[in-house]
Amino acid sequence: MRATQEAILAEMRRWGYRYVVTPSLENLDALALGLEADQRRRLFKLSDGDGSLLALVGERTVPVARLAAGKLRTAPLPLRLCYAGPVLTNDPDRFTRRREAHQVGAELIGASGSVADAEVIAMAARCLEAAGLHGYQVDVGHSGFFQGLLDGLELPPESKSGIKSLLARRDFVGLEALLEQTPLRSAEHELLLRFPALRGQADILEAAGKLVRNRRSEQALEELSRVHSLLGAYGQGETVNLDLGAIRDFDYYTGVIFEAYGQDLGSPLAQGGRYDRLLGRFGRPAAATGFMVHLDLVGEGLRRSGRAPELIRLDAAVAWSAAGLDSALRLGASLRLFGMRAVVDTQARGQASAGAWAAGLGARHLLRVEASGLVGWAPAGGRLRRLPAEQVVVRLAGGS
Amino acid sequence: MISIAIPTGVLLQGSLDLLRRSGAVELDREEIGRKLLVEKDGLRVVLVRPADVAAYVDYGSADLGVVGKDQLWESPGPHYELVDLCFGGCDLVLAAPEASPLDDPETWPPAMRVATKYPRATAAFMERMGQTVEMVRLHGSVELAPQLGLVDAIVDLTASGRTLRENRLRVVAEVGRSTARLIANQASLKTRTEALQELVSRLRAHVS
Repeated sequence: MRATQEAILAEMRRWGYRYVVTPSLENLDALALGLEADQRRRLFKLSDGDGSLLALVGERTVPVARLAAGKLRTAPLPLRLCYAGPVLTNDPDRFTRRREAHQVGAELIGASGSVADAEVIAMAARCLEAAGLHGYQVDVGHSGFFQGLLDGLELPPESKSGIKSLLARRDFVGLEALLEQTPLRSAEHELLLRFPALRGQADILEAAGKLVRNRRSEQALEELSRVHSLLGAYGQGETVNLDLGAIRDFDYYTGVIFEAYGQDLGSPLAQGGRYDRLLGRFGRPAAATGFMVHLDLVGEGLRRSGRAPELIRLDAAVAWSAAGLDSALRLGASLRLFGMRAVVDTQARGQASAGAWAAGLGARHLLRVEASGLVGWAPAGGRLRRLPAEQVVVRLAGGS
Repeated sequence: MISIAIPTGVLLQGSLDLLRRSGAVELDREEIGRKLLVEKDGLRVVLVRPADVAAYVDYGSADLGVVGKDQLWESPGPHYELVDLCFGGCDLVLAAPEASPLDDPETWPPAMRVATKYPRATAAFMERMGQTVEMVRLHGSVELAPQLGLVDAIVDLTASGRTLRENRLRVVAEVGRSTARLIANQASLKTRTEALQELVSRLRAHVS
């Protein structure tokens, strides 16, 4: 998992994102500013000495936003920041899902518009690639499309909030029943019911454009069209689908949103989108977009496709006989100087037990330092030879 | 290959009938009951306990599932609830002994003790009514509890009302209406869109 995390962070650095460290424990009030009620409920809470409530972070966008609006408030915008770390949530539902999960994410703060949206989406795709995943796909949608539909409906506010909460629960049976009780019979009503099916390539934007009659939805379609063509320029045209039915936290996201899916994984690998209102809540209004990758799921995807990262192998196990300890320690240090991974034994061993010890460590080479200071070494397929330490180092470093 | 989880019990026959009517796959009850997992006509059908359908779908081990709404009340998750399949209809009701003073919500005591197999649905209903409730979670023969004075009332499913009558219970309030539903995994809808949409529309078209 650490290797995957490193690969993703390295990709983010290549895009000019600066790594920031945010706390795992935050003031509950501060965290709550960026979370919906359901997410707030799931936070692990504890109380501070003075009685105020603290919480363990359930996601890290809010802490990063706080940092951008606080410590980094004089840093010029746009800010490109990335982070990695555990997030903790309490899931009272029937599954005991793991409470601690690992996320890596990036935020582009202070840039609005399609170019910024496309940068973040393309980078998310490249991050999955860097982690070693293939056959993933990215679904791009827009929160304004649905908001526009809803604004355009002539319904009392209770019905609108009912529609929202049914959609948030993905309950289309309930939605259909609710819509049947309303006098609505418009193309937009039909569109609401066909929500999850509105996916595809650029042609669906045109099709959807004919069905909606409100400025907000039309604007969303225009933005999606621009982002889609920019993603083509990034070389991500193949991996991207447009998804007008994307259902995400309606009150948090303010523009383009996206999710990445792997093959045969039941939930999204990565999620993100534009959240232009969050920074303002911390006193530094700024447009922002970003995403996070669920590392645990990426690991599951890699394991299923047989591409789980190999455990790192030791290059050398250095054993020693009673008089050879000092030489053995020097040999270990030289090997490390050449970038090799070497373990020096903590006790003296005879020839036979040294073999078993090195095999147990999974080391590529067993080097046995003898009383004479010479090193016993059997190159792959070769017979045992005794060589001066420097020669062994040079030959191992040379790749034999 | 698309996989669909169907439940044992009262919804099994309806599920198999729907799969057959829609031309998706023809399976007999014996075969699926014996093998639990059958691959036929490009479809993988798995037979699981009613309460487990949502778990298989939510984790993506099954793309689709047929499940009673009564189970979904108790197992909220990230699945999409797509179609009301209209069979297996029954009501979740609050029922009390015939002689009980419980009637309109106004007559309910400040705190009511209720036995049920459906704690989440019961809690949501009582909260809507503003009723304080003490819940006793039972796993079977819930009808017995009020007769022995364990609880004031029960919240349970009833199709015909016969079991209630036989136990001299009467319906005090409707809590919810349940029928079989078609649910789908969130990622399957995105990664196998075409095959899944095609099957979903076929099933939808054959809802009776």
